[in-house]
Amino acid sequence: MTRPPGTHLSADEIDSWLSGNLSQEWQQHLDHCQACLERVRIEREIVDQITALPRLSPVIGFADQVMASVVIPDPFAIRSLHATQRRLFATKRSLALAASLTLILLGSMAGSIAWSLTHQDTLASIGNWLVTQGGQMAWLSLRGVASNLFEQPWYSGLRALNPLHLALGSGVATTVYLGGVLALRRLLALPNQQVAHAGI
Amino acid sequence: MSSGRPEWGSLTDQDVVLLARSGQEAAYRELIRRYERPVFALLFRMVRDRELAEDLAQETFVKALNAIDSYRPEFKFSSWIFKIGNNAAIDHLRRRELDTLSLDGSPHAETPEAMQATALQIGARQESPLDTVEAKELGGAIEAAIGALRPEYRSCILLRHVEGRPYEEIAEILNLPLGTVKTYIHRARNELREALAHLKE
Repeated sequence: MTRPPGTHLSADEIDSWLSGNLSQEWQQHLDHCQACLERVRIEREIVDQITALPRLSPVIGFADQVMASVVIPDPFAIRSLHATQRRLFATKRSLALAASLTLILLGSMAGSIAWSLTHQDTLASIGNWLVTQGGQMAWLSLRGVASNLFEQPWYSGLRALNPLHLALGSGVATTVYLGGVLALRRLLALPNQQVAHAGI
Repeated sequence: MSSGRPEWGSLTDQDVVLLARSGQEAAYRELIRRYERPVFALLFRMVRDRELAEDLAQETFVKALNAIDSYRPEFKFSSWIFKIGNNAAIDHLRRRELDTLSLDGSPHAETPEAMQATALQIGARQESPLDTVEAKELGGAIEAAIGALRPEYRSCILLRHVEGRPYEEIAEILNLPLGTVKTYIHRARNELREALAHLKE
């Protein structure tokens, strides 16, 4: 960098001087210029004071405090119960939220039990009504299915079959079904062979 | 690395981050060990309150480590963590500045009595024994002078001369053009020079 005649050190040159990179030309100027020399002396003094500031440390156990709120990724992408637990107890806010949810859950359970105990008659009548309704609905469904079956065109033919033919037909159908299942199982079975290069 | 346990000293920040990403808790602790002091020191000198600086430092590390997957290794880890920490400090200082505006009373107060009632309630605090201890810890004219600088100047001067970060990295941390960083540092040094000269008088 060439120095225009009559000029003094700029902020950039002072920076260069502070980091020991001032060009020879500027260094020569500095050797003879009292104003610049005074300026860099003061700058050096300030920088030395800043550099000498004490190294401050956080409290002992800072890392533990941080780690209590850090969720470490599970290599198998399954968030472990431990991590969830740590997250839950990480901050006062999450702890308060968890406590509130637990209170609501336990409160509603306790309320439900208390109500049931004091309103047993109501519960019994509701239970009876449900059983009656359920029974009626089941009976109606069964009747619907049965009447549907009786109306099928093949039902009269089925009724005409004698029990021996019926038993024979069922036996053949069962044998074919079991044969199919066995064949499928053989087809889907993995080859039971060791993998040589894996050493297992 | 030998017998499965990394020799941390030989690993770069990027290597440690990779181990952290693979789920090694020790790698997280190593990153904290490497940066807890510089990050805390920066924050303490920015906010000048030990307890608050610790909270902000904790917030910084939790935020960074929980988002370790979003860290881009082509940048320095130090730049990333300092950036998160500095943003936390600047955000806090801006919020505090808004609170300090309330010294004159709430802008929503409709009567002079209401103005007076809301005045000095936010931001006003008395010097406690803890403050005195902190003032001593931050003691010295230079600490006071740094504390009086604009937050942007303070970040620049601390990163440059306390943490020894190069101008380019400071520009990256503070998201400022290189020229602006240089200007801020020069202005900060000028203000420090004037403040110290005034104190000497």
